[in-house]
Amino acid sequence: MARTTLDIDLNRVEGDLEFQVDLDGNRVVDARCVGTLFRGFEQLLIGRAPKDGLVITPRVCGICGTAHLYTAALALERLAGLPVTPHATLVRNLCLMAENVQSDLRQSFLFFTPDFVHPRYAGQPLFADIEAAFAPLKGSVVRSALSASRKVVELVAIFGGQWPHSSYMLPGGITRGATARDLIDCQDIVDQVIEIYERDIIGDSLDNWLALDGSDAFFDWLDAAPHAASAVGLLTRFARAIGLQHIGAGARHFLSAGSWHDPLRWQPPYTDAPTLLAGGIYHADGGRLDPFAPEHINEHVRHSWYRPYPGGRHPFQGETVPDYQPDTDRYTWAKAPRYGDQVVETGPLADLLTGGDELIRSLQAREGPNAWLRQFARLRRTGLTLHFMKAHLAELGRQLGTPHFLPPPADAFEHGEGYGFVQAARGTLGHWLQVTDGRISRYQIVTPTSWNASPRDSAGRHGHWEQSVIGLELADPADPVEIGHIVRSHDPCLVCTVHFVQRGERRRYGV
Amino acid sequence: MASLLWLQTGACSGDTMSLLCADSPSIESMIRRGLLDILWHPSLSATPPGGLAALIGRIEAGEQGLDILCIEGSLITGPFGTGMFDSYRGGAKIDIVKALAPHARYVVAVGSCSAFGGIPAAPPNPTDSIGLQFERERPGGLLGPDWRSRAGLPVINLAGCPTHPTTITRSLALIADDQPLELDALNRPRAFYGSTVHQGCTRNEYHEYDLEETQFGGRGCLFFNLGCQGPNTLANCNSELWNRRSSKPRAGVPCFGCTSPDFPRDGDLFRTEKLGAVPLKLPLGVSRAQYMAYKNLAHAAAPQRVKDRDMEP
Repeated sequence: MARTTLDIDLNRVEGDLEFQVDLDGNRVVDARCVGTLFRGFEQLLIGRAPKDGLVITPRVCGICGTAHLYTAALALERLAGLPVTPHATLVRNLCLMAENVQSDLRQSFLFFTPDFVHPRYAGQPLFADIEAAFAPLKGSVVRSALSASRKVVELVAIFGGQWPHSSYMLPGGITRGATARDLIDCQDIVDQVIEIYERDIIGDSLDNWLALDGSDAFFDWLDAAPHAASAVGLLTRFARAIGLQHIGAGARHFLSAGSWHDPLRWQPPYTDAPTLLAGGIYHADGGRLDPFAPEHINEHVRHSWYRPYPGGRHPFQGETVPDYQPDTDRYTWAKAPRYGDQVVETGPLADLLTGGDELIRSLQAREGPNAWLRQFARLRRTGLTLHFMKAHLAELGRQLGTPHFLPPPADAFEHGEGYGFVQAARGTLGHWLQVTDGRISRYQIVTPTSWNASPRDSAGRHGHWEQSVIGLELADPADPVEIGHIVRSHDPCLVCTVHFVQRGERRRYGV
Repeated sequence: MASLLWLQTGACSGDTMSLLCADSPSIESMIRRGLLDILWHPSLSATPPGGLAALIGRIEAGEQGLDILCIEGSLITGPFGTGMFDSYRGGAKIDIVKALAPHARYVVAVGSCSAFGGIPAAPPNPTDSIGLQFERERPGGLLGPDWRSRAGLPVINLAGCPTHPTTITRSLALIADDQPLELDALNRPRAFYGSTVHQGCTRNEYHEYDLEETQFGGRGCLFFNLGCQGPNTLANCNSELWNRRSSKPRAGVPCFGCTSPDFPRDGDLFRTEKLGAVPLKLPLGVSRAQYMAYKNLAHAAAPQRVKDRDMEP
């Protein structure tokens, strides 16, 4: 059959994404994931005061600015070897958790499930239920998810003043410590969100849901009426009816830096990274977990619109100079991060596989990675996050009145380099910065979507999303809804493909 | 019912996220009540791939009316004037904006990026980003200073990084209802940009008595030393709280002046630039000599409870 090329633009992702796929008949035989936006963020930081990154980098991404802020603060703390109090880490974690819950709910029901209300599926037995629950902006679950997402970020506003885009985490702690009043307000917010989650998302208690520890137990649970009619139940039954458990495997290696720094153990010299959920590299085949080692991260530009260099470079050695070359075999503004030589996937599925969630590991062992499981893992993680938020608030109650900010020495940020990682809603986020004479001389950000949406690397290895669609059989190439399901199951955030690093001077005026 | 097309240019989606945080009115209630008909929104539309291109074609051909065009994100003109740092289906986004603007009854810049250029336009502006009718403080931008929409208005600038949630939905409600909108010199609706961030700040008593912090994490005022722009920034952050809860200055974070065209300013963002012991930029409209006299008196009059930082902001 004739080989044809299809250009697909996808919305309901954060930012802009275009996918170019080569078809042999209806089968995808090659794919190029195209990041269409370049904003030059990292260059804006060169020459600025080190702390300015706390204002600039949250603006990389409107949906995960808290994650950027947290990572930027960690990088500065590592650079200067600054201690942080448990009080500050508890509040930081709580804000990150709140942002992730917001993001998971909005992604699931504003970006992912609208594809289920597609005319192609009108004949499906569950279609009427799907429409009632998931119709864009009108479905019952959509409306309740929106109101829960609005409620949960109120917690961020209590400590940061507003969500999105604040700068309340500073090297040394947070700008405002928790008071007794805040504690009660936060508990009420979390309790309200848990009520919505239990009633509309899972149709069960959080404890019962988190106790599910294997695939058999899960499929039995799914058969019970309140669970079957819940958002997770409907999503699962419908996704499996249209075959999403068979498509979208991708790289089969999973990256997580570990979720949530342990508030009582996160202290200099930050050589190990005590996290509440373990990180690592999890291999789908055999279920092996290797430790996470940041020095293995490197980035390639062989197929990106940047000045070429051979192989991959660690972010501290990276250089990126835009070099727009249409009509060549370069095709994107995204770079290609690799872990050693490996193409990896990051996100909630990775968090739960490395973190040891028995249900998710069991489902992965049974069917392998797939588009349904990835989306399911996101909603599973929301429940786990709410559970950890409760525990954090209990600990915060014990820390009221303890210091929330330890002022750094005046010369703390004159020279040096630092980096930090957090698990943002979409996966592993890393910042690397170098400071010379009190000014930022290099800033490099590797975002979760850079990992997932990466193009081919120097060795010609496809990025994870590209791998996840190659081999796919499209029912209708004029309307490739399957590609939408697979890509959106990753919660893409293309605004996060921010690359630009350049050493050197820039002229500055004023202070 | 007003038709609305929302386009993201060089954006972070922060204004869309802010829009989704608005609860009164909320975007979904405005749709449900028949006030707005969303022809397209990048995060909310369920249209299949290519749907936006087809819609743009229908608007340009006059087959589809367009009441409100919202633009979120900087207008990126690089590299070399091509706009190809920000593209859609092989064409520059700025060309789509230029093609759609003449058809819209109202054009709304949602956020400081589309109003003035915003963060991407900070020096050295590596992507040549501009706003719709401003390039930072300078009138001009993508459409030029004299451009007017079909309803006779310049681009309505809902400045902010991001724009306050209900400033977005209430402005859209006013526009959809064809209510008159009084604009200030920067084309921001006075209804939402008619007070300073300083008004309503819970640290005001510290400012009043000249008790200024030199370190973060405390209860005092952030204006003299820690970079707060609240007294010279027009926005409703402290008169209408964010997420129903608070504001940055209340939480101990300086106002960065994000509704102003020079955001982000070129100096250190966490430090106040000074002339002697006093900030270079004084509160809006205040004379230096009188301000210094007032501050000296105020400092002497400070009650002990405020000096001791006993008051919770």
